[in-house]
Amino acid sequence: MSDPYKILGISRDATDDEVKKAYRQLSRKYHPDANVNNPDKDKAEEMFKLVQQAYQQVMYERQHPYSSSGFGTSGYGRPQGSSRPGSSPYSSQQSSGQTWQDEDGTTYTYYGNFEDFSEFWNEFFSSFGFGTQGAYTQDNSEEAIHLRAAASYINHGMFQEALNVLDAMEERSAQWYYYSAAANSGIGNDAVALEHAQQAVSMEPDNQIFQNMLQQIQSGSKWYSSRQQSYGAPVDAGGQCMRICATYICLNALCNICCCGNGRSC
Amino acid sequence: MFGYVVINEPELRIREFDLYRSYYCGLCEELHEHYGRFGQLTLNYDTAFLGLLLTCLYEPEDETFEKASCIAHPFSKRPRRRNKYTQYAAHVTILLSWYSMRDNWEDEQQIRGLAMSGILHGGFKRAKELYPEKAQVIADCLERLHTMEKQEVSPDQAGACFGDLMAELFAFRHDEWEEPLRRMGYYLGKFIYLLDAYDDLEDDAVSGSFNPLLPVRARMQENGADFNGYMRTLLTMLMASCTRAFEILPIVKNVDILRNILYAGVWTKFEEIYAKRTGACPDDNVSQHQDPA
Repeated sequence: MSDPYKILGISRDATDDEVKKAYRQLSRKYHPDANVNNPDKDKAEEMFKLVQQAYQQVMYERQHPYSSSGFGTSGYGRPQGSSRPGSSPYSSQQSSGQTWQDEDGTTYTYYGNFEDFSEFWNEFFSSFGFGTQGAYTQDNSEEAIHLRAAASYINHGMFQEALNVLDAMEERSAQWYYYSAAANSGIGNDAVALEHAQQAVSMEPDNQIFQNMLQQIQSGSKWYSSRQQSYGAPVDAGGQCMRICATYICLNALCNICCCGNGRSC
Repeated sequence: MFGYVVINEPELRIREFDLYRSYYCGLCEELHEHYGRFGQLTLNYDTAFLGLLLTCLYEPEDETFEKASCIAHPFSKRPRRRNKYTQYAAHVTILLSWYSMRDNWEDEQQIRGLAMSGILHGGFKRAKELYPEKAQVIADCLERLHTMEKQEVSPDQAGACFGDLMAELFAFRHDEWEEPLRRMGYYLGKFIYLLDAYDDLEDDAVSGSFNPLLPVRARMQENGADFNGYMRTLLTMLMASCTRAFEILPIVKNVDILRNILYAGVWTKFEEIYAKRTGACPDDNVSQHQDPA
């Protein structure tokens, strides 16, 4: 595709909201419903699709500034080989994987969140691979062998395999927590990844690599937090009263009497 | 339903607040029309948000606007807006409410749950016929959650059940926005689930009910780690992922209402719990709300 910015008619400096506005205007113009009586409606439909693709490419690039693979190879489409529509590729359970083969014919299957994978690795591990930290490459104890295996799996994006190895180990060193955090993060287990990353840091507070991991896991949060203030966060906990519909409160009370309560699964 | 996905009212412009309320009232009227007075009792902020989100994304041309009084406000005429997305939200509300009422009956023998679900059963059947896939996913996810409640599972696994459920509800149809909508729904669902688990920690510790955060808190207390701080960080990560997906959507009109909710409003309940549990007062940080001396 030629320059998506040109297709949308905006400059590269345009804000995200300006990009959205431009998309909205053009998609309204070329929408099939708006061109029913247009003799050139095929052209309009072509433009409509083009505008769509251009928008998605721009937004993808903006959210993945370091990704070497472009939109269309990973990103918003479902990972190839993903299971039936309606399933979530973002579930922390193992879903169907993406399979590929190495030069020597070994087959790998990748189950993780495809988007996070490319980002995670491009931004963090490109400078050094997992498992190349000095001390452990010479050590041939069972623990070290297992940790290296886990590191190798993580390097290939095989996060569930890495977790299987880690969970079978009895020793829980700081290094173990660090690898576990990486593997859990790759598979989308944010709660466990965060807990383990924090644990690794607390066990070795001077370890810069662990600190970096902890930051990396939360990488989206800084962006999110920076936007919160414009909407009034932190929210005043005490003073909030939902005046929107005082009757709602009554209805809610009624609801508590006659239905939901506070069931977990509600 | 939880009712966590709310506005941060002081920060909304009056025009925005009125607009938000008009869709909320619209949902109420949809529930009334399709499911009667008992249907209206299932009205909640979370599905109102979904209706508003889809409205802002798809900008339907077919929208009714009226000013009318209602059973809750018999003496004033209030604006309300309805379209096919508020309708969808109404059907989804009934599905969710019905399944959760049954769940509560099975889990905790709450007779009121059984009674309400009985009254709404006809409505539920109609909603299920309209959206059989959605109904099935809701049933499956709650079933998964049920099974997990008997074992020790991580907050991620339990949260993912509800995340998958919400992802399905957010995916209104198979189109170019299905992917980001699903992702948004997934992370918002996980956020809601874990916020509710955080809320119920004390009660569940006493009653012995399932709560995936209990073992986490126990571990952290043993290690001297800050559990409440951990919850804030974790929930922030989830909302960050949610809003990243949200910002993909080309929403322009009324986007600030949605942002008010997603960046600030959803934290309302959390701040309340956090303040209680830590004794900290968030007002100490909120200098912009103080009047000039």
